[in-house]
Amino acid sequence: MGTWLPEQAEGLGPDATGFDRVFGLRPDLSAPFREFYAVFWRDRLVDPVVLELCRLRVAQLLGCASEMEVRYEGALRGGMTEEMVAELAQWPTSEHFIDAQRAALAFAEQFVIDPRGIKGAVRDALREHFTLPEVVAITEALALFDGFMRFRLMLGVEGPTEPAEAAEAAARIVVDPSSVDTPLP
Amino acid sequence: MADDDAISGSVLAEQPEALMGFLRLYGTLWSHGRLPQSIKEVARLRNARVTDCAYCRSVRFEGAVEDGLTEDRVARINDDYASADELTEREKVAIRFTDRFLRDPGALTEEDRAELLEHFDAGELVELAAGVALFMGFSKIAVALGPPPEMPTTVVPTPDWPPA
Repeated sequence: MGTWLPEQAEGLGPDATGFDRVFGLRPDLSAPFREFYAVFWRDRLVDPVVLELCRLRVAQLLGCASEMEVRYEGALRGGMTEEMVAELAQWPTSEHFIDAQRAALAFAEQFVIDPRGIKGAVRDALREHFTLPEVVAITEALALFDGFMRFRLMLGVEGPTEPAEAAEAAARIVVDPSSVDTPLP
Repeated sequence: MADDDAISGSVLAEQPEALMGFLRLYGTLWSHGRLPQSIKEVARLRNARVTDCAYCRSVRFEGAVEDGLTEDRVARINDDYASADELTEREKVAIRFTDRFLRDPGALTEEDRAELLEHFDAGELVELAAGVALFMGFSKIAVALGPPPEMPTTVVPTPDWPPA
């Protein structure tokens, strides 16, 4: 089963995902969304491994299976392994993570569960490992992960596994993101 | 979250390209969408209350006020909203949508879906979901990087793109 909406966008081509077909009902909104979403990878605003670990952890917390299936090429090239993904839910005690990644994951969890808890040690650890612009980028990316995974869950969007090549393309192409099979949330 | 000026003057300015991406999407959603501004404003204020963003709670967008969202009506976006005569049925459905989105987005029942489709078409529901995603996400940013400033209720220009 896919979305429960009575209609989906048509004429998007054979590579269109469930997300494309639902959001594609409103190209006036999906186009600026894609541009916004892509900028974090395209401009490398933060280490793509950190970004990817945050994205996958948010997907675990929200139970968003379609996001868990996707891996972004940039993160794999940056050194993210399936061992890390397998131990992601045990990040505080797993040996697979470095302190900067742990700081970002603690922040990500608190962001999803209750951002009022982001203070003290959570905030200090983040600032120890990341510059202010990086903190801003991580926080905005978390807002999009959290928000648009819920969008998927609310509208019953299912996405097939998007190829990593498309993820890489999406990170580079922002001029016309609607033409790309973007690995969107 | 709030008006363009407050956002542009915030810490988000540390990432100008991302800020531009946000303002383009947010301004398009608010000023060039298909849903009435009052519906989006009801959803935004419901999120502000649940997510506990003091700043987001105190802001009103001009277009929604012109659309008839008076303070008497805003005051009814509370725990007893379902019995409020001041709110339309469509606004109440938008509040229920927002609550589900924030608390358990994967748990819509057949009845929930039927009710939503009775009041909104598919394209409108995409706009509402994208709107609440941004309202929630950016009020969480304000809380996470805050604390967001307390301020009196203030009417500000509706976000637009290109900026008015």
